[in-house]
Amino acid sequence: MRRVALIRFVLLVAAIVVLPFCVRPVVASEICIFAIAAMALNLIFGYTGMLSFGQATFFGLAAYTAGLMMIHWHAPLLAVLAAGTLVGGVAAALIGYVCIQRVGTYFIMLTFGFNQMLYFIAYKWTAVTGGDDGLPGIPRPPFAVGPLSISLDSSLRYYGFVAVSFLLAFYAMKRIVDSPLGVIFRAIRENPGRAAAVGYDVKRYKWLAFTIAGAFTGGAGVLYSMMFGIVPLESISWIISGDIVFMVLIGGIGNLYGPLLGAAAFKWLSEAISVVWERWPLILGVALVLVVLFLRGGLVEAFTRVRDIVAGGGPRPEPDEPVSVPDAAESQARP
Amino acid sequence: MSADTILRTDGLTCDFGALRAVNHVSLDVKGGTLHSVIGPNGSGKTTLFNLICGEVRPSAGRVYFEGREVTGRAPHDLPHLGLARCFQRTNVFPKLSVYENVWAAVFARRTPGVLGCVRRAGEFSDVDADARRVLADVGLAARSEARAETLSHGQQRALEVAVALASSPRLLLLDEPTQGLAPEATVQMTKLVQSLVGRYTILLIEHKMRIVMSISDRISVMAFGEVIAEGTPDEVRDNRDVQRAYLGARR
Ligand SMILES: Nc1ncnc2c1ncn2[C@@H]1O[C@H](COP(=O)(O)OP(=O)(O)O)[C@@H](O)[C@H]1O
Ligand SMILES: [Mg+2]
Repeated sequence: MRRVALIRFVLLVAAIVVLPFCVRPVVASEICIFAIAAMALNLIFGYTGMLSFGQATFFGLAAYTAGLMMIHWHAPLLAVLAAGTLVGGVAAALIGYVCIQRVGTYFIMLTFGFNQMLYFIAYKWTAVTGGDDGLPGIPRPPFAVGPLSISLDSSLRYYGFVAVSFLLAFYAMKRIVDSPLGVIFRAIRENPGRAAAVGYDVKRYKWLAFTIAGAFTGGAGVLYSMMFGIVPLESISWIISGDIVFMVLIGGIGNLYGPLLGAAAFKWLSEAISVVWERWPLILGVALVLVVLFLRGGLVEAFTRVRDIVAGGGPRPEPDEPVSVPDAAESQARP
Repeated sequence: MSADTILRTDGLTCDFGALRAVNHVSLDVKGGTLHSVIGPNGSGKTTLFNLICGEVRPSAGRVYFEGREVTGRAPHDLPHLGLARCFQRTNVFPKLSVYENVWAAVFARRTPGVLGCVRRAGEFSDVDADARRVLADVGLAARSEARAETLSHGQQRALEVAVALASSPRLLLLDEPTQGLAPEATVQMTKLVQSLVGRYTILLIEHKMRIVMSISDRISVMAFGEVIAEGTPDEVRDNRDVQRAYLGARR
């Protein structure tokens, strides 16, 4: 089991290394940034069972925070990254506390409502955010630790920084879902009533999941703010929230690798196809319908199905999933 | 209240709109015993459990556990106080493995704070040992890697009990553990419940009279939300009201 995990991680690193040579480095960076945000949503949606339609709230808040800190204070890179992550987490703690009081559709609408509220604040408060025009003139500080200072001016170098951030975020997320929290979150997703009956304060754990996700999303927002030297108003809009939901669904919910696949598919499609066919979102719509109807596990499930067909023999269980023991064991439990 | 009382309810009452599902129920469950609650369908037995476990707020009355009032406590507090229940309708975590179902319940009792969550779930060897012991106890060790939803109905009922046992409760509430079981699975489940007698104080809701009469120390009989009789199996068997309200009604 441990070896399988290691092989997977090596493959992941390999994929991240070759990515900027398969697509433009700028697109590669976007893929990694949105993969972090999608990973965060996956924690609350795929693992804990709460669909948030307002993740742009934390993405955008952190992006504006980072942009303002860099424009006005010339704040260094790592300080900005830490601040944005903190802002994402604190905002998610405040907003999440209200949202988790409700479940299902009402939860979704609350996350959406807060997103809209903050969008309009960003839209109207032009003195600070630039409103519709976005917040321009954001520098990209060098990566500096002690005497070491690496310029991130080229898009490939910036990708390097984003890629390392992604891998660190991935590892942190893996440790979270491998920890007791992972079991607790999934137990709450499966049956919140029983999770309470065995002794878990369900609201508190939902709140925790939401807050952790907000922090990750905030980190992604900071990385995004330095991409194009501008924080567009769109970064806090429901469109980004929707894109993130989309990536998680396409990639495969409840699986650690799904969000990366989803983000890659989404950004690659929008990059490769939008130049030849401007109605490319139509393809995304079709893909979403197909996934929901036929392939609930998204690209991850498609991948395992193809692998099983290529490898021959019947479908094999996912290594992550509990393996079903054949029913021979049943007779043992009986007299 | 005598010294060895572990659970006491005092005039517990529950109204659902115009329906009084539980009417002034006062129970006294002694430590180390198996106390059964019987009664026709709809007589308020499950609701009584829901009142004790904080799932439903009583309209009136109080619940004391080990001398401490627990009326209206949140359901998630009770396992920490030493009280665990299993449900009449199987209520586990379907897509988690059998092992994880039990693991989650064991772990809940020893939440190590946020710092503890820096470790991987597999690194808690004491939780692992307890979870495996409970699974062996209920005869599910061989199926611990299976997803809960893939178990047979009988095994799901056993898992339901296992999840409750995993809390190491001092009082175990079992709501019709043999519900819907085929005859041989019923025998299996009865053996399991019998194996718990003496190790746990048990408050048992059970429909099958033969089982109840053979394993209970005391029996409370409910009808229309009220306790109409209480006593040893023999006393209850001979009680005219019980024969009329319960046994008679079913003949
Ligand atoms: N949540 C509820 N809302 C309304 N009525 C309920 C609720 N739960 C139980 N009842 C009613 O209360 C009565 C007692 O039900 P219950 O406690 O389940 O009986 P038993 O477990 O003895 O079969 C029934 O008439 C049932 O329909
Ligand atoms: Mg019942």
